[in-house]
Amino acid sequence: MDKDTILKVSDLHVDIKMLEGKLTPVRGVNFEIKRGETLGLVGESGCGKSLTCKAILSINDKKCRSTGSIIFNNEDEGEIDLLKLDPKGEKIRDIRGKHISMIFQEPMVAFSPMYTIGNQINECTRLHITKDRKKSKEISMEMMRKVGIANVEKRYNQYPHEFSGGMLQRALIAMALVCNPSLLIADEPTTALDVTIQAQILELMKELQKTYNMAILFITHDLGVVAKMCDRVAVMYLGKIVESGTAEEIYANPQHPYTRGLMGSVHKIGGKKTERLFSIDGTVPLAMNLPKRCGFYDRCDVRIEGLCNNADPELVTTDGQHQIACFACKNEACQKMRKEAEKRIVLEKTAGKEA
Amino acid sequence: MKKDTIMEVEHLHKRFTSKGVTVKAVTDVSFDVKEGETIGIVGESGCGKTTLGRCIVRAYQASEGKVMYRTAAGEEVDFLTVDKKKMKEIRKEIQMIFQDPYSSLDPRMTVLDIIKEPLKANFPDMPKSEMDDRAKAMAEKVGLNPAYLMRYPHAFSGGQRQRIGIARALIIEPRIIVCDEAVSALDVSIQAQVINLLEDLQKELGLTYLFISHDLSVVEHISDRVGVMYLGQMVEFADTEALFSHPMHPYTEALLSGVPVADPTVHIERIPLKGEIPNPANPPSGCYFHERCSYCTEKCVHEAPELKSMPDGRLCACHRAEELKLRGFTYSEE
Repeated sequence: MDKDTILKVSDLHVDIKMLEGKLTPVRGVNFEIKRGETLGLVGESGCGKSLTCKAILSINDKKCRSTGSIIFNNEDEGEIDLLKLDPKGEKIRDIRGKHISMIFQEPMVAFSPMYTIGNQINECTRLHITKDRKKSKEISMEMMRKVGIANVEKRYNQYPHEFSGGMLQRALIAMALVCNPSLLIADEPTTALDVTIQAQILELMKELQKTYNMAILFITHDLGVVAKMCDRVAVMYLGKIVESGTAEEIYANPQHPYTRGLMGSVHKIGGKKTERLFSIDGTVPLAMNLPKRCGFYDRCDVRIEGLCNNADPELVTTDGQHQIACFACKNEACQKMRKEAEKRIVLEKTAGKEA
Repeated sequence: MKKDTIMEVEHLHKRFTSKGVTVKAVTDVSFDVKEGETIGIVGESGCGKTTLGRCIVRAYQASEGKVMYRTAAGEEVDFLTVDKKKMKEIRKEIQMIFQDPYSSLDPRMTVLDIIKEPLKANFPDMPKSEMDDRAKAMAEKVGLNPAYLMRYPHAFSGGQRQRIGIARALIIEPRIIVCDEAVSALDVSIQAQVINLLEDLQKELGLTYLFISHDLSVVEHISDRVGVMYLGQMVEFADTEALFSHPMHPYTEALLSGVPVADPTVHIERIPLKGEIPNPANPPSGCYFHERCSYCTEKCVHEAPELKSMPDGRLCACHRAEELKLRGFTYSEE
C-alpha cells in the first residue's frame, strides 16, 4: 500500500444471521482513502453505508459478521488490518477516538444526558492524551473554542439539553477531533440540522480538515452536501459500490443507470420549472438470498435481458479514477467485462446441458 | 375575498402558555391561497410553520385571527369560528398529509381500514361495499397494489406508507391539502416519485396544496408562490421565481445562500448569520431578525417592520427592502 493511502477497504462483506435466513447488507465493498482527502459515500437508506463505516471501527452489533480486509495505515505503527483485531481488545480501543473517530447523525442522541458536555469531551482526552486533569481540561476547552462555541467556561459545565442542535453538533465535532485523528468518519453529520446551520457546520469541517490534514469519510444521501464537501464520490446500491470517481466527473458525467437516476431525481434550483423529476421505479429489494445478478436489475431502464440477470457486474476502471460496475455502459472496460461475462454464461449453459 | 381565492389567512396568531411563560409560535401571519395553486411555506425548525399548518386545519385553535374559506358551495366562512356541525362539513374539504409515514399510520389497522376511515367518519351511511370499492380505486390511483390492502402498515416501505397517507387524505375528495413535510423523511428517488404523484393528482383533480417544508429545492420545484417564515412571522411572500432569483428580505437571502447545490462546479458565497435563533418566548425588540442581520440600522432595533406590498406585488417585512440589492439564484434562460 502506498504511503499516501490511509485506509484501504477490500472485499468487505457484512452479514447478519436472522431467523428467516442470512441478510447480506454489504456485499463486497472496495475503496481507499488518501490522506487529507474527502470521500463521499452516497446511497439510499438501507444500502449498507452505515454498516460499512461501523465495520471500520468494529462497532457493529454482535449479530453482524464482517469479512474481507480493512487496512489502516497508521503513521507510527504501519499497516494494521482492523478486522483482525479483537473488537473488545486494547489495540482497537487505542485506535478508536485517537486515530479514527466518528461523528454520528443525531447529536441529541449521541451525547449522554447524564454528564456535562465538558465531561464527555474530556473522556476522550484523558483516555488518549494525558491523565492530568487540569491539562486535559485545558485541551478540551481549547478544542471547544476552535469549533466556534462561545463562552466556553460556562458551556463546559452545561448539560446536553442546554445546547441547541447546531451547538451540540459542534460539541460532537470537538469530541471527535480533540485527539487529532488522521481519519474522521462522518455519518450524516448534518441531516438533522437546518439549512443555515448545516452550511456553518460544513464550513467548519472543511476548515478543520485543512488545519489538521485529516481524511474524511463522509456518509450522506444528500447530493447537494456531497457536491459541496467531497473530492471523490462513491455511489452505493444494495451493498455494493456501483460507481466511483472524482466529484466533478460523477456530477458532470454519471454513467451507471442508478447514479443517473439519483442525479435526475434531485431538483436543481434555477432549473426548468416545467420539468418533471426523474424517478426510479420500484424500491430497493431486501438483501436476503439475492440471486447472482446485478442488484439494480429490477429497476434498471437499460438492462440487457439474459446478461444482467445472470451475472453480477464488477467495478472496473474506465479512465483515471472513474470506476463503474455496469454491463450496459458504452466504454471499453465495461464492454470488455460484458464480453467475458457473456462467454462465461454460454459456457455455464453448455456445461449445464451436458450434465 | 377575491373571486379566484379559495382561502385567506388573516392576522393569524397562536400563543402557547406553559408555567406562566407565553411563547408566540405564530405572530400576525396573513396570506391568500388561490384555487389550484401550490403555496410553499419554508423556514428553519421552530419558526412556526407546522403550527401555522395545524391552525389552518384547526387541529390547534388559533389565538387570534381568521381563516376565511370559500366552500365548494361558494359560501364564504371563517373556518376558525364555525360551529361543530359546519366544521365537520368543511373538514371534508381540507385534509392533511403528515410528516412521518411511520408514526402517522395505526399499526393495528389494515391499510384498507386506514384508507377508508375518513369515509366512515364523514359518510356513516355509505354501504360498506362502496367504501371498499372507493378505497381500492384510490389505492390504485396513488400507485398501491389493491391486492396488498389487507396487509398492515409494517409490511410497506417508507415511500409506500407515504402513498397510504396520501390516499387517506384524498379519499373524501378534498379541495385543499396541507402537506406538512410530506416528503422530508423519504429517500431522494422515492421523494421524486411522491412529488410527481402529488403533481399528477393536482392536475387531475384540481387540488390546492399548502406545502410546508424546510427543503428549499423541493419547495422551489413544486410551489407557485412561497412564504418565508422566521420566528413565527411571515417575512416574505412572493412568486417562486421572484423569491429565489431576487430575494428582498435579508433572511431569505441568507437562507438561500445556505442551500447546498448538487453541482460541484457551483460555488456560492454563504452569507453568515450572526448568533442563533432567539428564544421565541423572549423575542428581540423591533425587527425580530435585527440581531442577526448584516444590514441592520438604528430603525430596525426599535421599530418592527410591517409586511408591506412591494412594487412587484410581493409581500416583504423589512424597512430596507427596496434599497437593498440582495443576491439569489441565477435562472437559466432556456
